[in-house]
Amino acid sequence: MLEIKNLHAVVEGEDIEILKGVNLKVNAGEIHAIMGPNGSGKSTLAKVVSGHPEYEATEGQILFNGEDIIELDADERAHMGLFLAFQYPVEVPGITNKTLLREAYNTIARANEREELDPIEFEDYIESKLEVIDMKDEFLERSINTGFSGGEKKKNEIFQMAVLNPVLSFLDETDSGLDIDALKIVSDGVNKISNSENAIVLITHYQRLLNYIKPDHVHVMMDGKIIKSGGIELAEELEANGYDQMQKELVLNGEAQ
Amino acid sequence: MSEVAVRDTMLSYISGSIESESQTVAIRAINERGRDVLHNTSFPTRKHEEWRFTDLSLISKNTFTSVEEADVKDFGDISSYYLPEALESRLVFVNGQFNAELSSLEGIPGNVTVGNLSEYGDHNAVKEYLGTITNYDDDVFAPFNDATFMDGTFIYVPEETVVEAPIHVLNIFTDAEKAFYATPRLLFVGEMFSKSTIIEEHIGLSNNLYLNVPVTEFKLFTGAHVHHARIQRDSKQAAHISRPIAILDKNAEYHSYTICLGAKLFRNDPRVIQNAEEVDFTVDGLVLIDGEQIADTHSIMDHRFAHGNSHQLHKVVVNDKAHSIFNGKIFVAKDAQKIDSFQENRNLLISDDGKVNTKPQLEIFADDVRCSHGATIGQLQDEEVFYLQSRGLTEQKSRELLVYAFALESVESMEVESVEKMLLDEVIKYTNRDDK
Repeated sequence: MLEIKNLHAVVEGEDIEILKGVNLKVNAGEIHAIMGPNGSGKSTLAKVVSGHPEYEATEGQILFNGEDIIELDADERAHMGLFLAFQYPVEVPGITNKTLLREAYNTIARANEREELDPIEFEDYIESKLEVIDMKDEFLERSINTGFSGGEKKKNEIFQMAVLNPVLSFLDETDSGLDIDALKIVSDGVNKISNSENAIVLITHYQRLLNYIKPDHVHVMMDGKIIKSGGIELAEELEANGYDQMQKELVLNGEAQ
Repeated sequence: MSEVAVRDTMLSYISGSIESESQTVAIRAINERGRDVLHNTSFPTRKHEEWRFTDLSLISKNTFTSVEEADVKDFGDISSYYLPEALESRLVFVNGQFNAELSSLEGIPGNVTVGNLSEYGDHNAVKEYLGTITNYDDDVFAPFNDATFMDGTFIYVPEETVVEAPIHVLNIFTDAEKAFYATPRLLFVGEMFSKSTIIEEHIGLSNNLYLNVPVTEFKLFTGAHVHHARIQRDSKQAAHISRPIAILDKNAEYHSYTICLGAKLFRNDPRVIQNAEEVDFTVDGLVLIDGEQIADTHSIMDHRFAHGNSHQLHKVVVNDKAHSIFNGKIFVAKDAQKIDSFQENRNLLISDDGKVNTKPQLEIFADDVRCSHGATIGQLQDEEVFYLQSRGLTEQKSRELLVYAFALESVESMEVESVEKMLLDEVIKYTNRDDK
């Protein structure tokens, strides 16, 4: 589904390389976790894949269902089924959740030559998705993320994901700032959305999220590269020993410079 | 004997005589007073502090005739501009002249007076207040209205009377062979504990140059409440220079909302005077401009007595080469303690060539007051645009939605449903224009 080959990226207009040759392959039905310390480039990877204009890919490929999407705008990528749950969801006073989601849903439907939903059909559809994150109807009428608590904002990201039904989702530190109850609801929502047709990439700093969402693959990212990949045991190793220890071992084994 | 050469006065841009022909004594007296001021006052230039940023060449490079000499063209059906809430409480003026046929006043309660000024020249309130509330010093535009208005709107609401239906004052401007001037006038007197809603609209039917110089005077007695919406949709070639003023007695509430969409040159000098203790007023504005439009608001919130609340949110969206100017003054006199006044000017620049000048100005002589003010000039945040775009909306649609959201708050203050709806359509038209 997704194949990232030797991806290098810089902040638009600057020379400093943040991604220094990332390789990653994600298949349908899989859940991946990318872990790494602050500044390792894991959030940047999510943004570059979803088409954030602040970053420029300078080398490599992002193949999505075989097509290189590097030149596409964020909305075109969304039309293909890409989704990014933001680390810091943006507040948009004056536009309700429902308005945004109907516009988004129908725009994506149009781009894929699927039937659009009229307001009444959409109302039914969107209400059926509320249970994914255990939210009430009022949630739909509130301005996007405006006055939301940190937990509500993260729930809203997962709710949007449920409504737009993407093929591939990057969840950028969706767990950070969540208390245990909110973490359970958000994880539960993600597990409900996950199926054999779609794929999810969790970006996280902490192992605790992986107690609730079981990844098939865990990758460790440091200094703009994925330095090690494995199963859930890799997350446990990190939790026990920390990133520094892993870095040292890799150097000793000659697997990293 | 005039002290100022005619070529330096506003009269040099007016063709023909402005001798008063009004048969109404009260109007005639003001006409004569205005003419005196006009003869003795220079037309403003950029050297004038109040006009530093405002390009008045649209007026000074043209000549304006009276409506009678402008060869005004016929106009079609204007019923689409009628408000369903005000079908029987509507006054229509065409190029400043009262049109009884298009007006409809059946819905006005019997004890309330709504009509045209020249008909009510003998009304005590007209004799007493007409022309007494405006206080624009060193100004040529209020005096120009004074000198030339022949008619206007008169609204008188007696004590304890509530006018349920909004009163719609519809000023229509038509196409004409020549550029003309019009000077709509409005006198509102609200007696003790009366309550009313006034929707004052200015609509240009065509795309011609004219000069619209309205003066509105609001006198609110103790406990009177007024909601005053002003919607300016003049021709995009027109000049509109407004002088709306309100004077408030104890416990009066005056809430005004000015929406600027039209005119090539718009200058609005709203003033609210707190003339007794414990008043509450609003001087909000929403400006949506593009092309080469200029929209300038110079407001004064004048607290002369203690215990007053005032609020001003002035929101502006600037596209293309448009230019917005804002100068908001809050005055608090020495003994006017316990004033709570808030002023905010928020500007959204959505083009590279747009221009914004903003100057909040507080002059406070009392020591126990709370006055805050702020001005921001911003662009749409890239992160906001990206957020919406990542959900599948095109960049254009994302930007439109954000501008719409920015303007929405001001529109929601309108209280009259059809006006809100109409303004939302106008906002959408403004933000969507590139889709056409």
